[in-house]
Amino acid sequence: MRLLQKFKRGYGSGSKGHTNYAYTIPRVRAMKSKLLPKETYPRLMNMSIDEITRFIGESGYKEDVDELALTYEGVDLIEHSLNRNLSVTFRKLLNISEGEVNFLISEYVKEYDIWNIKTIFRGKYCRASTKEILESLVAGGTLTYTFLSSLAGKEVEDVISEFEGTEYYPILKNYNGTNLSDVENQLDKLYYAGLFAVAGGSKSKDRKLFAKFIRAGIDIKNLMILFRLKRAGITDPQMIGIMIEGGLEIEPKDIQKLMPLSFEEFIEELDNYSYWKEISDLVNPGMQSLIDVETRLKKYRLKSAASFSHVYPLSIVPIMDYMLTKQNEVNNLRIIVRGKAANLSDEVIREQLVI
Amino acid sequence: MVTETVTMMDPSGLKAIGAALAVGLTGFASAYAEKEIGTAAIGAMAENESLFGKGLILTVIPETIVIFGLVVALLML
Repeated sequence: MRLLQKFKRGYGSGSKGHTNYAYTIPRVRAMKSKLLPKETYPRLMNMSIDEITRFIGESGYKEDVDELALTYEGVDLIEHSLNRNLSVTFRKLLNISEGEVNFLISEYVKEYDIWNIKTIFRGKYCRASTKEILESLVAGGTLTYTFLSSLAGKEVEDVISEFEGTEYYPILKNYNGTNLSDVENQLDKLYYAGLFAVAGGSKSKDRKLFAKFIRAGIDIKNLMILFRLKRAGITDPQMIGIMIEGGLEIEPKDIQKLMPLSFEEFIEELDNYSYWKEISDLVNPGMQSLIDVETRLKKYRLKSAASFSHVYPLSIVPIMDYMLTKQNEVNNLRIIVRGKAANLSDEVIREQLVI
Repeated sequence: MVTETVTMMDPSGLKAIGAALAVGLTGFASAYAEKEIGTAAIGAMAENESLFGKGLILTVIPETIVIFGLVVALLML
């Protein structure tokens, strides 16, 4: 058996070992079936914060709520339980997968590594206390909570030197105390560059699907950025620097074309893309708020990920689909809880939910 | 005068080989199919214990392959 595994490992360049789809995919599918169904959200809307805490404490978040109930209460308890659950879930995905899929997931969850690095730097920038920084960490990526929490108490220079030897170091060493947004943008770009380096040019089926999945996500992100820019009346071609390259349908040359347009022209031009049919009924030149459009785009992303996962059942896609859906569930719960705590009307909260 | 000796294989021996192949190969096929379904069932069960019954049934369904092989072998002998 070991010989067979060795043979499989050696087979195909860049492969990181055997992927046990038969085990991983049904397990992830079973995990997905335990997520909150759509009907839950209207019920949650009618509950008070304490009732919601109790409700999620009896669902998949039981362990997290039980553990954190000693330290936090109310909205904070829910928020921290959600964060803890998310990081535990992603770590579990890394633990139950092996080979190529494990490698691709770890690349994908680097989003959280970058999030945490940003959190630490932002915390240091605005002189937040160690406790405050620790509370904002979501250790869902490859960096462990132990490592991250040890950084929270250190000075900026020490934090940077801790990253020596990692891919983040060349960017972080340029941090001079004032160029935080520059460093953050570069970190985000590094994340996508890393994803493309992994996925690009490979003949493996998994990596191709992974690339397609990521690129579809980039399209949605770019569209949202464009909508925001255009709504704010920004037509400066220099703003192309904040866009993410590598979209599936909206390529750099399309972005160049769209960038100098006004909001009305931009909307007309969108007709040429397949996303238009999803949002056409919501978009008009006189629209005040972009919330509807953004929610619809996110919904479309989830829907297309789910159908994509049915087309390729034994691949990385069902796992990516689960991760997206899980992130969305956590976001939705957070929106409801934070909205209720801020006394927002049900209508406003409902607009923000992606269900 | 040259005498030619004709050697013939015993037909019952060939039958036995055929029967062995029928059981042996179908046995491998069942094992392979059950391995895949079994791991999937374990994966699903790890998350949701109530799937034990369904998982068990699905896991033993490929057993029919080796039973067919056995039937063929018995018919041969």
